[in-house]
Amino acid sequence: MPPSHTCQRCLLSLSNGLRPQLRTSRISLRAIASASGQPTRPSTAPQPLPAKRRVSTTSKKDQSTASETALPRTPPGLEFRKPEPKQRVLLEPNNLFHPFSNSPVPEIRQRAAFQKQHAYCPHPDHRQTRQPMNPDDAEAKKSPTAGSAPAHVRFECPDCGVPVYCSEEHWADDYESHLEVCDTLRQINEDDHDLYSGRRFNEFEYPGPQMEEALVNMTNWDTFLYSREFAAINNDRPLRQATRLLTYPVTVASVLHELSPYNIRKGGRLTTEGLKSLSALRYTLHPPRTGGGADVKGLRLNPPAVRIFIVGARAESSLPRLVWAQLNYLFPRVKFHIIFIGPESMANRDDEFPLPPRTPSNPFGAIVEDRISPELKISTFVEYYHTMHKAGHFYPYDPYFDCFMLFHPGLGHPASSHEWEETLPLLLETKVPILATGYTEWDMQRDLKWVEEKMGGEVDLLLEPGENKFRSLRWDLNDLDPQDVSCGNWGLWAFRGKRYETTRKEE
Amino acid sequence: MPILPRSSYYDKNYKQSAALIRARQPFLLKNIATGAAIVTFTISVYAFTIKAVSQDEFSDVKVPDKPTEPARA
Repeated sequence: MPPSHTCQRCLLSLSNGLRPQLRTSRISLRAIASASGQPTRPSTAPQPLPAKRRVSTTSKKDQSTASETALPRTPPGLEFRKPEPKQRVLLEPNNLFHPFSNSPVPEIRQRAAFQKQHAYCPHPDHRQTRQPMNPDDAEAKKSPTAGSAPAHVRFECPDCGVPVYCSEEHWADDYESHLEVCDTLRQINEDDHDLYSGRRFNEFEYPGPQMEEALVNMTNWDTFLYSREFAAINNDRPLRQATRLLTYPVTVASVLHELSPYNIRKGGRLTTEGLKSLSALRYTLHPPRTGGGADVKGLRLNPPAVRIFIVGARAESSLPRLVWAQLNYLFPRVKFHIIFIGPESMANRDDEFPLPPRTPSNPFGAIVEDRISPELKISTFVEYYHTMHKAGHFYPYDPYFDCFMLFHPGLGHPASSHEWEETLPLLLETKVPILATGYTEWDMQRDLKWVEEKMGGEVDLLLEPGENKFRSLRWDLNDLDPQDVSCGNWGLWAFRGKRYETTRKEE
Repeated sequence: MPILPRSSYYDKNYKQSAALIRARQPFLLKNIATGAAIVTFTISVYAFTIKAVSQDEFSDVKVPDKPTEPARA
């Protein structure tokens, strides 16, 4: 007789001892079908594990004796059948390196098959398959006309386990250039297997709010994690896994917070215009105490929520909400509204389809999550930003409350710049600070040049391009080009539409 | 509380964990310099004070001889 007050699923997990079940990470590719077949940058957001909790099972035993008499039978069709236990791969920490094709994890074997079908061998003997993206691209060494036909990668380097060349001869020939990325590829290999290893992931247990007086130190990841009272992450691998998710909210916070590591001193990368924009935002983000309380005497006028528009959102929108809530804990007494806008903003969120219908009260069919906490609301729009801007959906924009965040937008990237052409002038028109990140230094400089070119110099630089102190420490592999390793939010810069101050006309 | 809460930044032998050492690293040199300055100041204050109140030299003062006959009763 099943106990009456505990749901069947909870009982099942109690009796099985709460195994951490990992949902497989999906690789979301930029859905760009361009003729030149540009390599896209997959953004994966693996789901963090729930922490194992030791729960006493005495309650179950008590209930089973008491409820034996009068219990309604579960109606047919609603009976819960115990699911077949899946074949789970358990990888020890010293057993994390496996060549992708021979991996014990089926998802990684699938990735290897995908790579072998889509990625091309980077040896200079082959003909060029596409225009080189940057000076470091392996395609730059190939010639467009002379050379043998481009071949898909087949041979896996024995040191890193990733299929990188079409044959062993080409691998041996190009060994020096492969050595540059071999170590990183091996690290990626081990980190990917680590996610499937079934170990306990302590690094994904995030702390809650802390008292305002305990200031957070944003010098680097270690001081941040310590002052935010995260559980100690002593080893490199869990630190890499943790920062990969945390980089998204913490990058935003590291710029907007008053204790940010970017300042107007020499080498601090913040410009005077940047200080002006950020001071306006910090005025709202660090509000003075108003003496408000829970009773009627404590009623106070509350400012509206700070809106962070994440334009061109891809996998960021699927990050667990606990990760985005970290932003709230860094700014106490401030309400946030995070808005994901972009054609791919529902990447990795297939469970939430179909989108709500477009009604007059929800004209763009947005998914609104307003029950996360009293201080956080997340909306997701699957729409281009310029459409919504022209509809005036978010009007008015207030530089004291609003901020745009572009995570690796690829503004100048040939595959995506045509999509940004219409959006960018409208972003600059709002005169609200726009923070942008990039995969590499070259990426950011290209974006900056593109922005200045397109807007004819009507751009104010707020934060000079440079390495993001809170970048993801974990490197990611591009399945379409294994030589292309990137880490999330490597670089950070910020800009804004040019503001002109009034001047006095000489009488 | 059944057991005292333990910080994860110290291992079971109360040694600093790697995470704590990494977190302290940007401040290590400045802290050592500040500590050295404070200790130097303390030692110098002690040294000055002890020197200032140490016994005076009286070798230049002539002590009169002890009287040879005791005073008559």
